Amino acid sequence: MKYRLRHTTEYAYATPVDLASHLLHLSPRALSWQVVAEARITAMPQPSRTVRAHDHFGNEATWLFLDQPHERFTVALDAVVEVEAPPPPEDAATPTWEEVARLAAIGGAKAADAEFVFASPLVTAEPAARAYAASCFTPGRPVLAALRELTRRIRNGFAFRPGVTDVSTPVASVLSRREGVCQDFTHLMIAAMRGFGLPARYVSGYLRTRPLPGQPRRRGADQSHAWVGAWLGPEHGWIGLDPTNDLVVADEHVVLAWGRDYGDISPIRGVLLGGGQHSVRVGVDLDAI
Amino acid sequence: MVDGRGGLRAPWRGLIGAFTALGDGGLAERARRLDRAFEEEGVASVLPGASLRAWRCDPVPLPLTAAEFAVLEAGLAQRARLLEAFLADLYGPRALLAESLLPPALAFANPGFLRIAPLPGQGTLHLYAADLVRGPDGAWRVLADRAAAPAGLGQARENRRLLGRVLPEAFRPVQVRPLRPFFDLWQEALRALAPSGTANPSVAVLTPGTASPLWFEHMYLARELSCALVEGGDLTVGGGAVFLKSLRGLQRIDVLLRRMDGRMIDPLELEAGSLIGTPGLMDAARAGSVRITNDPGSGAAEAPALAAFLPALALRLLGETLALASVPTLWLGEARARALVAAEPQAWLLRPATDGAAPAQALAAVPQPERAALLARAAAEPWAWAATRALPPSTVPCVTVEGLQPRPVVLRLFLVRAEGRWQAMPGGLARVLDPAQALAGGLPTAGQAKDVWVLAEDRGDIVGPAAAPATRLVIRRPSGDLPSRAADNLFWLGRMVERLERAARLGRAVLARLSRGTFVLPREGVELGVLLRCLVEAGVVSAEHATVSMLGEALLGAAQEGGVLPGLFAEVARLTDSVRDRLTGDMYATFTQALRTARAEAASARRSLDELAHALVAVLRFSTAVAGVAAENMVRGGGWIFLELGRRLERAHAVAAEIGFALDLPPPRMEAGLRLVLELCDSAITYRARYFDVVQPAPVLDLVLADQGNPRGFAFQCAAMHALLDELAGESGTREAMAGAVAGLLAQAEALVGRVAAAPDEAAAAAAAAPELTAIAGSVADLSDRITRRYFALLPLVRTVGLSTEPTVQRGAA
Repeated sequence: MKYRLRHTTEYAYATPVDLASHLLHLSPRALSWQVVAEARITAMPQPSRTVRAHDHFGNEATWLFLDQPHERFTVALDAVVEVEAPPPPEDAATPTWEEVARLAAIGGAKAADAEFVFASPLVTAEPAARAYAASCFTPGRPVLAALRELTRRIRNGFAFRPGVTDVSTPVASVLSRREGVCQDFTHLMIAAMRGFGLPARYVSGYLRTRPLPGQPRRRGADQSHAWVGAWLGPEHGWIGLDPTNDLVVADEHVVLAWGRDYGDISPIRGVLLGGGQHSVRVGVDLDAI
Repeated sequence: MVDGRGGLRAPWRGLIGAFTALGDGGLAERARRLDRAFEEEGVASVLPGASLRAWRCDPVPLPLTAAEFAVLEAGLAQRARLLEAFLADLYGPRALLAESLLPPALAFANPGFLRIAPLPGQGTLHLYAADLVRGPDGAWRVLADRAAAPAGLGQARENRRLLGRVLPEAFRPVQVRPLRPFFDLWQEALRALAPSGTANPSVAVLTPGTASPLWFEHMYLARELSCALVEGGDLTVGGGAVFLKSLRGLQRIDVLLRRMDGRMIDPLELEAGSLIGTPGLMDAARAGSVRITNDPGSGAAEAPALAAFLPALALRLLGETLALASVPTLWLGEARARALVAAEPQAWLLRPATDGAAPAQALAAVPQPERAALLARAAAEPWAWAATRALPPSTVPCVTVEGLQPRPVVLRLFLVRAEGRWQAMPGGLARVLDPAQALAGGLPTAGQAKDVWVLAEDRGDIVGPAAAPATRLVIRRPSGDLPSRAADNLFWLGRMVERLERAARLGRAVLARLSRGTFVLPREGVELGVLLRCLVEAGVVSAEHATVSMLGEALLGAAQEGGVLPGLFAEVARLTDSVRDRLTGDMYATFTQALRTARAEAASARRSLDELAHALVAVLRFSTAVAGVAAENMVRGGGWIFLELGRRLERAHAVAAEIGFALDLPPPRMEAGLRLVLELCDSAITYRARYFDVVQPAPVLDLVLADQGNPRGFAFQCAAMHALLDELAGESGTREAMAGAVAGLLAQAEALVGRVAAAPDEAAAAAAAAPELTAIAGSVADLSDRITRRYFALLPLVRTVGLSTEPTVQRGAA
């Protein structure tokens, strides 16, 4: 599926910002199943310095430095991306979840994946999350079967309600409220998986704005989206699971970046000198072409 | 000090004579003198968690023979190379993880491991330290590796300097290798780290600021290494390069000696909530325009559990056997290790596997409910825990209240990579452990330290290295190199000292009138009314509560906890500490001793006005001491200019305001006001010498407003400010405008005096001039704002977006 993507973010400041530095994780990640035909980031006012480099996780990051006073700051991503995630393996073909946890604990040649087993700043170890997921992880169950059930439970058990949480809302509080947005569900599922020793990462990206014919409108479209990357062992590698919509990622999602949690790959992060109060307007369009 | 056979260890043989000759009493006396020297020079707090005066130096050093030291130096140099190779792999190919030589937990659950885009030279070390203990077998073993920003070099150097002063005779019977050459070597090595092509690199010590318990050490190092001391807020990043904001403008920085947590140095890429960092610093490092050392991610090598893997890593990474062993350490992620600890729990200390700063805990010393909880945590996440063997450390003699007593010590040695190889400082820092705590595993953060003596083999050893080739220095006499923050702090120090002095002078004038008894003369009533207005204007007493009848209590209240005087003392102390790197040791000692006396006197003046009068005298002595020291000891550069400018500006404001109040009286009362003006401006004697006892408005105002020779008068302050502004470097436009404003104020005051002198009724003319004087005082305050805007880094609010963190904090003084 081929998409045209446009993501604009506009900051308005109460007083002029004298100096600003921004770190963006706003470039679609090139993958074997995601071809980035074009991607362009434009910023207004024009930054005095722009740097691109790959971050620790291999995502493309962009640094923008502005040294002239400004009261507005706009960043836009325009991209054309073609996605076709390979179909997931049969549940029964995947190793047991215990085996995946064992391999992750040992590390070794696949050590890079072990990084995502450990707690991270926004997904700290949370016994309640493990307890919530415990019934999915019965002994000897194939890992993907367990994860599909967990994905579905979160979709069905939580209300999608923007504005009641923010990026630093702890997993325990999401669990007790039973509501939140994609970030919260993603952090919850990551916490549960890590509680069982399974590598889980936070994937940021987008969901197609208009649903496919005959499909319901997805939750969390028309804004930045997030879902879980789950490791199924060395043979099957990583798979995308979207607990907000109970989906296995196939061709409706476009990947920007991944990290341990939201904090590693916030799409736009910045440090401002001056500026007073600020307001943000975000617009996302992901249209099939 | 005793070897296994009961004989004296070799290094003690030559030394012991010097100490036994002193006797217990003599030694105790030297210990007291050392304590006093530390207290006076205030470098007593240089290790984490230490508060002021927390560290003392024991007069008996810890000696190491040349041979013993050479073995340690070689062993530690190998460990430094090993840790550097470990970091290079961790931040590079991660072959150790792929080959299962390193468990993932030690890399990815390691708080020192930074997830940032790769940097050039990532993981390289420049400075390394190790904590060592000597076991009963006489062998030194490494207790902890320090690779992030090891502290204690300043304290070690200070111990040596003060010990040399207090106990010179102990140095005579033996040849002790000096420390200075190491600092020269270090300084050169830092300069050599500058990005290539930099002809005269500028190095700066990056400190978290005065709130850091290690502030003194940072200041001390900056001085020893002849480089600038900067905080994150002093730096700005532009075009991928790092600059220091100074009075002259932006000055390029090539090398930063990092003395703060690597996670805090750049809020854009690392800890978003860090308010002590500089946004964009990592970008500049990545661009190769600045070198940050040690590398921000080097703390990953401090993980305690790493010690269990070092022998294998040495073979793999260096192809060598590990020469200097660690204290036996186990990583509890391995079942075999857990079995060993379970079999013999009392022999091991538990500690977090990756947090080098967390203390170890002896299981045997932990009381039962906590012990079970600790064991449960370790059982739940065994990979997060390490165990180190509880070794009884060997003891050395220390001066205690019971005379010389054996005490266990931990030794810290420091190495720098210079001229392509690791070289150890021939000395170190020994910390004395509480005997009861020696096995509990925690390192002391306060208490007794010892100088470490490396004994020279022969005289050849103590010759310093040949002078390093340096480019010929250009003669400079700059006033613009001062960091803006330092100028800001000095300016406010000048203002605050003067404010303190003004409060004391006004208070003294009130007390002189109140102490004459309960009956107040009408003239004194008028004077007290004026003084009250002055005190309210000065902020010493609050406007709502103060009446003339309550002045005594109000003044006593101002001296009490929570009053104005303690607030000013605290502010002066804070500012003095923050500019300490600009003051010589003598200057600092004078400032702080006089301030301490004044604070103590004020704190004890609880009940009687008499006690308060004593305290105010002490305050005046303090401000006189500051003035004297500044006049006689400070080079007339940027620092002195701002201290002086602050003081003159504050005094000009006070004089104008006070004369305004004194003239604001009905003409029949004018004479009382004029006498008070002479008293407050300390000009009564001069006036009497000129005009005898006849007090008239024009001559009084001439003396206090227009006579540029009167150091307490208004004109003198203006002339001084004019000259100071003239000396400042910088673009001429704003500076000339400010100098012009000062000249305007002076002309206005002279015109005012002229007008009063020419008026038919001088008293009426003087009374009419009162509002103008208030206006002049306001103009002086405006001038302060203009100076602040022009010369100081006005730091606006810093905020982060895109992440939910504590967003705002006001930074900068002013």
